[in-house]
Amino acid sequence: MNDRDISVRAGGWLALGLLLSALLGSVPETEASIQGRLGTDNADCLRCHRMETLAYRDPRTGDIVDLHVDSRAFGHSAHGELQCIDCHEGDFGQYPHPESALGERLDCVGCHKELHKADKRAYTFKTIDEEFALSIHATSDSPKAEGFDCHRCHDPHGFRNSEVGQPIAEIVRADNQICLSCHTKIRDPHSTAHLWLPKRDKHWTSVRCLDCHTPLTDPGQPVSHQILAGADSNFDCVNCHSKEPRLLQRLYQYRSETDLAGSGWLSKAVFNQAYVVGMSRSPLLDALGLSVIGLTLLVLIAHGWGRYRAYLRLKEDRS
Amino acid sequence: MSALYLYPRWLRAWHWINALLFLVLMYTGASMHFSGGGWLMPFDLAVTVHNTAGILLTLGWIGFVIGNLSTENGRHYRVRVSGFFGRLFVQARYYGYGIFHNAPHPFHVSAEMKLNTLQQLSYLGVMYALMPLLILSGWAFLFSVSLPETLLGLPSVWLVAMAHLTLAYLLVLFLLVHMYIITTGETVTTNLRAMITGWHREDEPSSGQTEEAKS
Repeated sequence: MNDRDISVRAGGWLALGLLLSALLGSVPETEASIQGRLGTDNADCLRCHRMETLAYRDPRTGDIVDLHVDSRAFGHSAHGELQCIDCHEGDFGQYPHPESALGERLDCVGCHKELHKADKRAYTFKTIDEEFALSIHATSDSPKAEGFDCHRCHDPHGFRNSEVGQPIAEIVRADNQICLSCHTKIRDPHSTAHLWLPKRDKHWTSVRCLDCHTPLTDPGQPVSHQILAGADSNFDCVNCHSKEPRLLQRLYQYRSETDLAGSGWLSKAVFNQAYVVGMSRSPLLDALGLSVIGLTLLVLIAHGWGRYRAYLRLKEDRS
Repeated sequence: MSALYLYPRWLRAWHWINALLFLVLMYTGASMHFSGGGWLMPFDLAVTVHNTAGILLTLGWIGFVIGNLSTENGRHYRVRVSGFFGRLFVQARYYGYGIFHNAPHPFHVSAEMKLNTLQQLSYLGVMYALMPLLILSGWAFLFSVSLPETLLGLPSVWLVAMAHLTLAYLLVLFLLVHMYIITTGETVTTNLRAMITGWHREDEPSSGQTEEAKS
């Protein structure tokens, strides 16, 4: 066997080896093999991503892209029990992460396609999609609204649904914080927004932005995803502060449910916050009630005066 | 001088606690209903006080019903059917006419019957119709989450709110009339004193009026 034969044979083995490795490489990895690799465990990811300053400047847009994940908030979020790689597919084992892993667009509907309760709800992701398409966040020409997706409001690393039993003020604050994180000008003390609203600050701490800035949904269904422009939003006080059933019911039932889920029915009956100012107002009943009471008072005064006159006459007769 | 012990201690205690709760509920209720007026209680405080007073009013009402079932006081609320309309007319005529002409009281207070027919009717209506409905509507407010979306085709929370408001106005009306009508005893303060001391005293018995009430 000469040197040439050896090199030909070695080349053949090499080609076979390359072929085999190529073939093996295309075989899907098992869950166990993925879990064992660096960059697949949440702790691996959060080792870097929990740093508050972790960010980079997008070379195309020049914007700073925040890469920080609040591990505590994530742990308490709706996704807290998931692994990072459940959503972030790609080779994150190396640093810097390869370009292919960075370009992915995550899609909520991919996982949230059909909830097991979907058939019992009129409110599915299809509905959300339809409503969002009409939302000001989708229809606005503003460059700030460009590419608006679910994640702008529903931070997948921190979002959690409010739970019945949580203090209302806390729910309202957390909910409104989502809006205010972009709509920062609202907080400007010189802002003229909402100046028309009586007791503006009180409203802000008691009512979610969404309660006025979305159209009404059917009773029992979640709030609409069709966020309305300021001008199209609810300006009518009596939608809440009157008998209008749907918005009032939404607020009242929610508050009532929240109140009752707390620490026992008696304390919740005492500290019940469900009453909305004006819900018992009825101009007709008020006018009727107050006039009947006023008239009765007049009749009683007149009656008393008549009795006093009779008493004076009796006294006179006796004397 | 005649004296009848008509108002036992439990009844007087209930009456004055109830009266105090009525005033508190009226003020706090108005503070919630007409929120924002200068003379009103701050809204948040009014809600808590109103809820608390409403719960106490409920307990008081239950106590009143039990008291009437388990003591002799209940007999004063039993309406005698015979001559009902005649008595009603005579009593109404007295308040509307006789009282201005120094006519004698047509009703004679006795240990068996301390309330005249008109009083009986109004107290029965208030204590066994308006009060339970008011209390029920108040509790329905607090537990509205358990109510159906609509009642009789109307939004249930609104219906409850309107019922509570109407009943509240009616009870304010009752309180006004009640406070006035108690001054129509033998003297202006005869009935008030009776509800404070328990003793119904008549200092100047007039013809036929207190004979049967003498003790």
